[in-house]
Amino acid sequence: MMKRSFAAVLGATAAISLVLAGCSSGDDDKGSASGPQTLTLAGWSFATTPEFKTLADGFHATHPDVTVELKEYDAANYDTQMVADLAAGKAPDIYAQKTLKNFYTYQNGKQLVDVSDVATALGDKVGGISSYQADGKTWAIPYRQDSWVLFYNKTLFAKAGVKIPDGSWTWDDYAAASKELTTKLKGSKAVGDYEHTWQSTVQGFALAQTQGATIESGDFSYLKPYYTRALDLQNAGAQVKFGDATTNSLTYQAQFGKQSAAMMTMGSWYIATLRKQQASGEADKFEWGFAPAPQLDKSTTGTSATPVTFGDPTGLGINPKIGKSKEATAKAFLQYAAGPDGAKALAGIGITPADTEAVKDTFFQLDGVPQDDLSKFAFTKHDTKPENPVSKYTAALQNILSDLHTAVMSGSKDIDAAITEAQNRAKTEVLNK
Amino acid sequence: MTSLPLARRRRGRQVLRNTVVGWTFLLPNFAGFAVLTLVPVALLFYYAFTEWNVFGGAEWTGLANVRQLMHDHSFRTALLNTIYYTVFHIPLTLVAALALALLLNRRLRGVAFFRTVAFFPYITSIVALAQVWNMLFSPGYGPINAVLRGLGVDNPPGWTTSADWSMPAVIIVGTWREMGYYMLLFLAGLQTIPGQLYEAAKVDGANAWQRFRAVTLPGLRPTTFFVVVMLTIGSFNVFDLILVMTNGGPGQSTLVLSQYIYQKGFVENQFGYASTVSIALFLICFVITIVQFLINRRQS
Amino acid sequence: MTLLEAPPADRLSLAPPPAGGRRGKKINRLLGYGALIVAAAAILVPFYWMLMSSLKANNDVYTIPVKWLPDPVVWHNYVAIWQKSDMTTWLKNTLILSVAVTLLQVLTGSFAAYGFAKVRFPGRNVLFLAYIGTLAVPWQSYMIPQFILFSKLHLSDTRWSIIALQAFGAFGVFLMKQYYESIPDELLDAARIDGMSEYGIYRRIMLPLSVPALASLSLLTLVKTWNDYMGPLIYLRSRDLWTIQIGLKTFVNTYNAEYALIMTGSVLSVLPIAIIFLLGQRYFVEGIASTGLKG
Repeated sequence: MMKRSFAAVLGATAAISLVLAGCSSGDDDKGSASGPQTLTLAGWSFATTPEFKTLADGFHATHPDVTVELKEYDAANYDTQMVADLAAGKAPDIYAQKTLKNFYTYQNGKQLVDVSDVATALGDKVGGISSYQADGKTWAIPYRQDSWVLFYNKTLFAKAGVKIPDGSWTWDDYAAASKELTTKLKGSKAVGDYEHTWQSTVQGFALAQTQGATIESGDFSYLKPYYTRALDLQNAGAQVKFGDATTNSLTYQAQFGKQSAAMMTMGSWYIATLRKQQASGEADKFEWGFAPAPQLDKSTTGTSATPVTFGDPTGLGINPKIGKSKEATAKAFLQYAAGPDGAKALAGIGITPADTEAVKDTFFQLDGVPQDDLSKFAFTKHDTKPENPVSKYTAALQNILSDLHTAVMSGSKDIDAAITEAQNRAKTEVLNK
Repeated sequence: MTSLPLARRRRGRQVLRNTVVGWTFLLPNFAGFAVLTLVPVALLFYYAFTEWNVFGGAEWTGLANVRQLMHDHSFRTALLNTIYYTVFHIPLTLVAALALALLLNRRLRGVAFFRTVAFFPYITSIVALAQVWNMLFSPGYGPINAVLRGLGVDNPPGWTTSADWSMPAVIIVGTWREMGYYMLLFLAGLQTIPGQLYEAAKVDGANAWQRFRAVTLPGLRPTTFFVVVMLTIGSFNVFDLILVMTNGGPGQSTLVLSQYIYQKGFVENQFGYASTVSIALFLICFVITIVQFLINRRQS
Repeated sequence: MTLLEAPPADRLSLAPPPAGGRRGKKINRLLGYGALIVAAAAILVPFYWMLMSSLKANNDVYTIPVKWLPDPVVWHNYVAIWQKSDMTTWLKNTLILSVAVTLLQVLTGSFAAYGFAKVRFPGRNVLFLAYIGTLAVPWQSYMIPQFILFSKLHLSDTRWSIIALQAFGAFGVFLMKQYYESIPDELLDAARIDGMSEYGIYRRIMLPLSVPALASLSLLTLVKTWNDYMGPLIYLRSRDLWTIQIGLKTFVNTYNAEYALIMTGSVLSVLPIAIIFLLGQRYFVEGIASTGLKG
């Protein structure tokens, strides 16, 4: 008796679900090729991320019969919400690839339209486009390409009497300067540098700058020198301890902006933030600049070489549910966003577009952006490697590496043991599939 | 001779009548429950045996996921951590909640204030709560370690930043947060115990402890049972607290099953395998709950 | 408020019988208060910190050594947060959702619980196990299938999605069933003999008898809906539907360095529930006492 009714319940639910699955609707393909059209564009945190509105307005100015409607997502849960919306067929026409880590999910899940023709039209001026290529096609177009640089507080350097970065620094020079700053600034609240809690602050550089290092190899020994240095700085008191930074939810904006640290490596998006916060009073007023990120060895230092750094592009992709009639318009939007017009509009609000050379002048005309030559050099000249090289293993491997990061930086595990464990996990949990 | 079939027919009619009455009571809730919860949960049992990236159709892979689960080292870590949390969280919360309820069931002046205080942790948003506790636990600057140092502890624990102490820290916060919730249930449960039972026990010369053993505990059995089942399920599924406090770290020291499911699904987009882990978690929970039901039935 | 409560002697005194008469009772009472004050202090520390931080200037929130009192007291945070956020909208939405969910949950939950607890029919236990079973499945694992289903029903990004999500949960059914089971069957049989229908019994006997349980369930459901973060996060996209929890979290993301303001928002998110609790807490300890079952 009991068994029978349980089976009945299961049967009924299965039937309901089948009915529900059956009534899935097709694309609502209302717009026609001519006449007014509306594109929807997904973004996040519009209050602090004005780029989406800038692009939407800019495109509307050149294409008056197309309105770009913005749809806001939660910044911290962007991919969760987007996966849900795509799975339910409710996602916007165009959506940003917030992190490169999840690009594979969308591309492999057939949630992106082939935009190779846009890529061809744009040519090779746009940085980071290769990150969005798979199976010989291009699936998203980067409109911004941030890369990591070294921010430094000129006022604090002058106060301590330490020589400011000149583009020739290796990581050893950086560590020495940080310790010297810490000693000479004793008595103030400032220390030499701040390293944010993200795994990329260590691993991004290690991966980009070490010859032959890849995540997919499952060999993570390349991380060791970088972690040894970070731990050394932390133990010397030259940077806030990882544990205190996480438990007190320290923000890098406040650490550098309120002059608690004289140096900080950070992505170039922080240029716009710092400039804005100094104007609004959220950050102290002080002289600052940015230099190329410190290098592994002397071969890539100096202004005649090209410094190696990392950074993921942010791309725009098209939802296949868009329907044929609007697809061409959406592609035009991508081309605008990544092309020179979009780049200029973005630079005008302090964002690093994918094509930096084209906007150098616009960018450095902004109030509050440092004017020295080294900052200009760091902005335009860099070999930016992706933090998350696209592969089906990336997301899972980055998870393992994130565990390694928290274990090592908190002092819970020593670096050799942590690397061995991460390698084992990579082999047994990820790479053997 | 004819009385037997008649009795049976009457009983049959009674069963039918009861079934109709029973279902009319259930239906308003069951209709919503079946469509909105039971269907998606039932689908999970199918997805557990597939490879599924949520966008396309799921691909049947038979027992491949189960085989993977058997050799999954992280799954084992997450399972052990979940058990670690559960084993300490349940008794601690149970005792604290019951003690609070007994203390606050009296007619003391100001008892309303204290009841509210005890319930406060539960109504505080988990985001704010994580922020505050992490600050309190901060190894270098936090007040907790400042107090410990003041008491002469030379090397106070690193709490959420140490692999050994992160789980105890989470358990402390979990217990602190939930005891007010279960206190409330115990308070309501205490109301079902008739007052004369206590008076009778007093007349018999029972002291406080004996009255507690002989009257309070048996009277609270339905409540205690509910609390234990909910605590078990809640502890095995602990998620948001870990997510905001430690995010599973440092390393994998506080990685728990429900978070592992979230990682596999939403971060790595392996929803098929995530479903398999969910089913494993479900079965563990379910078996324990059934055992609790059986024990409860035998006792009553 | 506490003075209004009836003064009769402790119904449930854990204290040993008064050996020394009145003095013993007094000492007991003092011990009880002592325990309560210590417990309250321990419980309140984090909340105290939250409240004090919300009254500090932003730079004073993290200091070494820790400052336990705000100096100077900054009331401005409580003005600023209304200007910088849509607090009113969030609070309003959360209130609407919480009340709707609570009403539905208590109504359908207690109704179904009566069926489970007091009507015998075949398949009842299996069905009940199915209810409990779903509690043991982590929500994030069936979140996506459920979301797809809700979208097909055109529920997502509407208030109905959250109501449907929370109102028919197994929790309320289970809780009420446990309480109904503690009410003796003899009472119901007597009513049945008097010719009362099952619905009449539910309404006239069970409901009045279970006031404490109903009050607990209402409050717990209210709090659960109020504090739900993942549900609104997945289902609500439109800004004008946001609840206090997503609002607060977005606020934290946007003003991530403004600790004092974040704490202010947290205090405000807790306050309404705290008031509701304070007003309603009497009902958890009354009910049966007033219905006569006790005597």
